Amino acid sequence: MSTNVAPRMIELVHVERSFRRADGTDVKAVNDVSFVIPEGEFVCLVGPSGCGKSTLLQMLAGLLEPSDGDIVVGNKPVTGPGPDRGVVFQKDSVFPWMRVIDNVEYGLKCRGVPAAERREIAWTYLKHVGLSHVERAWPRELSGGMLKRVAIATVFANGGRVLMLDEPFGALDYVTRHQLQDVLLNLWNADGAGTRRTVIFVTHDVDEALSLADRIMVFRSGNKVDDIAVKVSRPRTTDSLLLPEMVEIKRKLLHHLGLDHAAGLDAVADEAVA
Amino acid sequence: MKLGARVVRDRWISLGVFIAIAAIWQVLSVIYTVEAVPGEPMVAGWQVLFTKTFLSMADYWAGGLGVPSVAEGADRSYPAAALSLADHSLQTIIRLASGLVVGGGIGLALGLAVSWSRWTRRLVDLPVQFLRTLPLLAMVPLFQLWFGTNIAGEILFVAYGIGVIVFAGTVNAVRNVPSIYIDNARALGASRLTLYRTVILPAILPEMRSTVLLSLGTGWGAVLGAEYLGAQSGLGYVIVYAQQFAYLDRMFLIALLFIVYTSISYWGVSKLTARMLDWAPPSQRL
Amino acid sequence: MTTVTATVKAAPRRVRPLRLFAYGLAAALDPLRLAGLVVFALIWEGLSSVLSTIILPPPQNVVARLWTDFLDAPSLSYYGVANPNLYANLLYTAENVVIAVAIGAAIGIVAGLVSARFSLVRAIINPVMMTAGTVPILIAAPFLLIWFGVGRLSAVCLVIFYVTVILYLFAQRAASNVSPIYEEFARTLGASQRQIVVDLLIPATVPEILGGLRIALAGAWGLEAVSELLGSQEGMGKVLEVLAGATDSEGIMASLLLLGLVAIIVDAIAGWAVKRLASWNAGLSSERN
Ligand SMILES: Nc1ncnc2c1ncn2[C@@H]1O[C@H](COP(=O)(O)OP(=O)(O)OP(=O)(O)O)[C@@H](O)[C@H]1O
Ligand SMILES: [Mg+2]
Repeated sequence: MSTNVAPRMIELVHVERSFRRADGTDVKAVNDVSFVIPEGEFVCLVGPSGCGKSTLLQMLAGLLEPSDGDIVVGNKPVTGPGPDRGVVFQKDSVFPWMRVIDNVEYGLKCRGVPAAERREIAWTYLKHVGLSHVERAWPRELSGGMLKRVAIATVFANGGRVLMLDEPFGALDYVTRHQLQDVLLNLWNADGAGTRRTVIFVTHDVDEALSLADRIMVFRSGNKVDDIAVKVSRPRTTDSLLLPEMVEIKRKLLHHLGLDHAAGLDAVADEAVA
Repeated sequence: MKLGARVVRDRWISLGVFIAIAAIWQVLSVIYTVEAVPGEPMVAGWQVLFTKTFLSMADYWAGGLGVPSVAEGADRSYPAAALSLADHSLQTIIRLASGLVVGGGIGLALGLAVSWSRWTRRLVDLPVQFLRTLPLLAMVPLFQLWFGTNIAGEILFVAYGIGVIVFAGTVNAVRNVPSIYIDNARALGASRLTLYRTVILPAILPEMRSTVLLSLGTGWGAVLGAEYLGAQSGLGYVIVYAQQFAYLDRMFLIALLFIVYTSISYWGVSKLTARMLDWAPPSQRL
Repeated sequence: MTTVTATVKAAPRRVRPLRLFAYGLAAALDPLRLAGLVVFALIWEGLSSVLSTIILPPPQNVVARLWTDFLDAPSLSYYGVANPNLYANLLYTAENVVIAVAIGAAIGIVAGLVSARFSLVRAIINPVMMTAGTVPILIAAPFLLIWFGVGRLSAVCLVIFYVTVILYLFAQRAASNVSPIYEEFARTLGASQRQIVVDLLIPATVPEILGGLRIALAGAWGLEAVSELLGSQEGMGKVLEVLAGATDSEGIMASLLLLGLVAIIVDAIAGWAVKRLASWNAGLSSERN
């Protein structure tokens, strides 16, 4: 981390958030979380269900106010949502009353980009995610994976420098998930290493985090419990996951997720290989 | 059974049901010959309804268009009867349509305005709930007192009944818009106004549809209410007049006409709104 | 094993009804909402100071009138109302509403549920109900008044008619809205027909049916009042009729206010009962900005 020269993009200082449930009990969804993310980094957040990942993302997006602490993105404190930070939501958020292409254009339209120009941009990103053939379809006519691709194209087209994805591929099949991971990495890489956007990617899938991330943060019941750099070079393949340093990280992650049993088995296998 | 086949079958069954009801009515008219007043059977057979009863509608023709009215000494005639029905129907429909436009427009505008923030929504919540629980038709006397028995008062009454429903329906529909769409639009940089135009308005459409249908039903009721108590024209006026003399057959004829009108209006509105809901999954387009 | 049973036992912490009620009360006593009522009264007050009292009596007059008339309203006996107070007439109306809602709901719910299960039944009943539902009350009422005469029977029949239609539609929709997945899933888990009805169909349809019952109940007050207004010797509708004849706007508004208040209170109780009976569903209707 200390060697990184890129400017700070995201900074969280002692951020907390609690909720009051309908029955009157309080839940602390995010508890005293601080971190700094430099520009262009691809960060994965992992952690068990209900540990506060979505809550954290919503606060970063400016859709939810922290109960305490400060959030700064691009040197500006977050006071509300803005097009500088795109969000791909965990639930389906594609507007059902707009055709696919209109959805992708929507953010640009909000910002007053001229019609021809924004259609051009939307079209480019739609092609990137492999959906140019359903340009005029209604969202109800698309599959779950296609809807996710529309959402990704929408936030990329909108041009925010920070992209947040909340378990975007959680409900997809193995093949589609891998295809979309590639789509995402290609979009991230498209403009060359120097101009990469900052990505925060929430996932449950340890292998997904390992193959995508520069850095993995682990959360458990609202706390950040670990912060691991993944230095393995890109592009990564399935074989990259077998590199000793990857296996080491995976073991750590599984341990954090309470899967010591599985991590132990891996260790045995490692020794056998060695 | 295939879905299409079932739809066709159900259509035939509906038709059969209506024919059966009509037949039972006819049989009743033969068996049950009690008269409400002499010469006016409680149950009038179809042969009576479409001849004598229909002709009697000429009594309500005010004259004009070269067809003399009964009051002018002419005999009851089919042209006069048909013109009379058409004229009174038109009066009723004009009142309803004006009320719909005025009440629906104001209700929608106010509902959207109030939904602007949680504060205003809470502020109007109780008064509107209260206004909604007041039995509309029982307020006719009050409206008469306020606006007299002229057409403006009648339209205002219809508009009020519709306005309250549309207003409450709009507020409720806005509240029910899934927050994910609002979040998404805001995250993409939509301003408040854009959010309203591009997200809230389309998203409330499916729910507004049932509100519109409901207000249509209320509107038909309200327009009758307005005509019941004081109007000198319209189908409500005819039915009140008939009731005073216990002309059950005339009331029945008007009631049939009313069912036809209301059915057509429901059908028309649902067809119209269905076209605006192209995008919605079929379950929301019912 | 023990941990599993422990969590299972701990998980469904039942929200106590009293607590829910307290929350409902807190929501109702929300200062901003109460302020809304005050603003409403102030506007009314302002308008009434501009207009004449005969047209629009000020709110405090109406409330005062309600207060005095509730137990004793001699003017009503002058107009020939059997019980010269609002209380007895309200009771008469309430009785009819209760009877009509009970009968109408029973018929409507059974017909609706059966029609959802058997498509042939649905094909036969649906057109009748749909048509019946479009007939305005003022068209139906005169027939009932002539057929059954002026009195309790015609008013109750009229209300039954509408309650039946509303609950038929709600029950049918509730039952057809139950996703077949639940039933299939229950089958694979080995549920019997009886269990499917008891554990699945009833809990799944109850919230929507209760919602329909609430709507029917709210509407029933108005319908009952109107049918009394058209022909009855007693009830709030009759009171409204004689007051209208006497162009007594203060009395009319006091009666309307009473009807509105009763309807709101009954609706609040019904809403609370619905929440209790269908607590798993309560979250769906909770407010979010
Ligand atoms: N609006 C809310 N009201 C009450 N509690 C909430 C609310 N939103 C989240 N919570 C609670 O906060 C905690 C964290 O929720 P969050 O959605 O952030 O989890 P998550 O890590 O995204 O889980 P998952 O991986 O399952 O999506 C949970 O205990 C949840 O019940
Ligand atoms: Mg989440």
